[in-house]
Amino acid sequence: MFNQTDAAPYDEVFDAKGDIRPLYETVCAHMSSNQVAGIEHMQQSADLSLLNQGVTFTVYSDARGTEKIFPYDLMPRLIDAQEWQRIEAGIIQRVTAMNLFLEDIYHGQKILRDRRIPAAQILGSNLYCREMSGLNPVGGIHVQISGIDLIRNQTGEYMVLEDNLRCPSGVSYVVENRMVSSRIMPELLNRHRVRPVSQYPQMLFEALASFSPLDKPCVALLTPGIYNSAYFEHAFLASQMGAELVEGRDMMVHDDILYMKSTRGLKRIDVLYLRLDTEFIDPLVFRPDSMLGVPGLMHAYRSGNVTLANAPGNGVADDKALYAYTPDIIRYYLGEDPILPIVPTYLGAKPDDLAYMIDHIEKLVIKPTDASGGYGLLVGSHATKEEISEFRRRLKAEPTHYIAQPIQQLSTHPSFLDQDGQKGFYARHIDLRPFAVCGADGAVKVLSGGLTRVALRQGSLVVNSSQGGGSKDTWVLYPDGGQQHA
Amino acid sequence: MLSRTAQTLYQLGFLIERTENIARILGVNSRMSVEQQVFSDLDVWSPVLEITHNREHFETNFGEVNEGNVVRLLLIDSHNPYSVRACVLQAREIARSVRELISEELWLHINLFYHDMEKEFASNQLHDWMAFIEKVHIFANAFHGLAHNTMVRGDAWQFMRLGYALERGRMTQRILQIKYHLLLPATADIGSPLDLHQWQALLRSVSGYEAYRRLYQARIEPSRVIKLLMLNPSFPRSLHYCIHEVFQALRAIGMSNEEQFTVYRFTEVFLDDLRGGAASEEIIAMGIQKYLSEEVSERCGKLDTMIRAGFFDSVTVNLTDDQAHLLRVQIPQQQQMRTHFSSRGASHETF
Repeated sequence: MFNQTDAAPYDEVFDAKGDIRPLYETVCAHMSSNQVAGIEHMQQSADLSLLNQGVTFTVYSDARGTEKIFPYDLMPRLIDAQEWQRIEAGIIQRVTAMNLFLEDIYHGQKILRDRRIPAAQILGSNLYCREMSGLNPVGGIHVQISGIDLIRNQTGEYMVLEDNLRCPSGVSYVVENRMVSSRIMPELLNRHRVRPVSQYPQMLFEALASFSPLDKPCVALLTPGIYNSAYFEHAFLASQMGAELVEGRDMMVHDDILYMKSTRGLKRIDVLYLRLDTEFIDPLVFRPDSMLGVPGLMHAYRSGNVTLANAPGNGVADDKALYAYTPDIIRYYLGEDPILPIVPTYLGAKPDDLAYMIDHIEKLVIKPTDASGGYGLLVGSHATKEEISEFRRRLKAEPTHYIAQPIQQLSTHPSFLDQDGQKGFYARHIDLRPFAVCGADGAVKVLSGGLTRVALRQGSLVVNSSQGGGSKDTWVLYPDGGQQHA
Repeated sequence: MLSRTAQTLYQLGFLIERTENIARILGVNSRMSVEQQVFSDLDVWSPVLEITHNREHFETNFGEVNEGNVVRLLLIDSHNPYSVRACVLQAREIARSVRELISEELWLHINLFYHDMEKEFASNQLHDWMAFIEKVHIFANAFHGLAHNTMVRGDAWQFMRLGYALERGRMTQRILQIKYHLLLPATADIGSPLDLHQWQALLRSVSGYEAYRRLYQARIEPSRVIKLLMLNPSFPRSLHYCIHEVFQALRAIGMSNEEQFTVYRFTEVFLDDLRGGAASEEIIAMGIQKYLSEEVSERCGKLDTMIRAGFFDSVTVNLTDDQAHLLRVQIPQQQQMRTHFSSRGASHETF
């Protein structure tokens, strides 16, 4: 039933000798006892339930923009309490440092004057948002919502792959996946002491509301609209928070105050959760052709009449090129060593690194600095000769546009799928995106769970949903053992 | 409530009602066509095209008026805005955009039906369309039941109610009007088996046959049918009942500007006419055909326009200028229709 031919050096379930790790004993026993037929049945009812709920996303490359369910893999990913403690501490540390960093570069720029990061790296970035300089967000907080991507390397160590400080999405799947699990395998769930995830909308609401001095502030979520791939999540979060789901055309700014147009006239908005890229939010300040934002929004923000979450201009901090400097940022602002290491990163902007990149392209993942969602990257080991020479050409033409990282052997996890007509559990690469929120007091709270994404294609290292990825329910266990022995 | 979402909910109520009405009309007509051999001169399908505003679209795309073509047009043709498929597609699309405002159960219900329907239409053929029509009936009525039992009686509910009540009233009016327009028998035919047959079908298409029998027992008389469908205050598909629903919904929503007050007053007067006998006098004075086509149709149309103007299309804002004068400003809602492309590329949600 378990096929480990594609397993990475570090597999989450099986150790190097091929034995089941103690953490997973109960889960594996449960899966084996159900046999393939039973599991197939569970999988079908899970898929049907997701389809009926409309838990779907839209694929851009598809001409009709068809809706698909985000594949749910029913074998859960388990994280024990000790491991989680480290992850949680690492994320809190990272988000705290990033908030200090963003507040600094949009004010005194001490870190640049102390020459810890080359000024050109920040000020020359097209993600540096001049409109934010000197602007004082409440509490100095820029990153209210984050979803930092982690991977486990060949030794099983958790490492940061990417910081998502703008519009991290996927948290609705964390909550929905748990709902599906509790429906299709309640016994298994009950035999583990799993920390809940359904409180996320409340965590988010409380964090957002803390930015307004009012007792009951009006919180709204700005969506680009129904055709956005993450629309399901926008509606889900708005509904679960009891917040208003607004589009740009529902709002207007008058006298630097943001209002929404309601059937009873105008209603003031105090906190706006942006699920729209910075460049689209205000045609008077950013892209003038944007119909999705609100003219005057930045003025209202600058006047302190509304809080925007996440703050515009965060892109400069989760830029793939800046990533190489993040350990220095943590040391500089917090005086601590990073709890979670980063993957070694070569910058196209540095001549030595560039030479290395061009020579060792087969061993590297080349990523454009300004793209996300797994678009436009090259995995050297899996690329054709033409692709490699094409990327060499691009690297030489626009070196600052690219970074490179050694190909990471992402850990694998058994996933239920059909391979060559045989259904069973096959080892597939996974990563982990835990979600964190930060209130006006700067306290970072991490949701005890996360989105485990699976690269369902055989051998693939790209887990993005847009590239054929799926997801797993992620069970973070309470201390004192995972399994309750009946 | 946001003006945009209020409009969406209004539209949702309207679409569900229209879906049901199309199925209803089709079902009744097919029953009539079974007896067609007896009344060979009866063209049962043309009136259907009239009621559903489909004459033109039909003639350019289908040609011959026969059962198969009409059924395809009204059930499967997604390019025809008056088809069940188009209505359900659109209802589901917009329900998704307000899913945080309707109950979870209601959303599931719509989405499930949508998936079932698409599966059924996958081949673009429908083998047992009568069975499908039955499903549409159950779908629409379960929708109302679910909405009734699971939704808070807030603005969301009221706007949805406004949408379906007005559409239901208009449909009843149209069905009656078509009967007069197309099926008007020669004087000699009045009271003939054919005439009775038509009146029966008409009553059935608004679920009014049993109601009629219970109220009037006797044989079907046109004047009584009109009374039932227009003026009866307790028959749930009568114009009177529907306008009463509209009125109730408006009252619950409340008024916060001049236009909204005007809509409310307009509805109140309309309702008074239906209630107080002014309408029945008018029917006699104008003749039923004129009454339906001018009075009722115009009033309903105006009501729809006024609701849109008062609640959706603009917002009246009170502002104070430098001299402390109170200004009333109309801020138009932007009615931009956006393509998939403009909004979907705008958020590089990292995922």
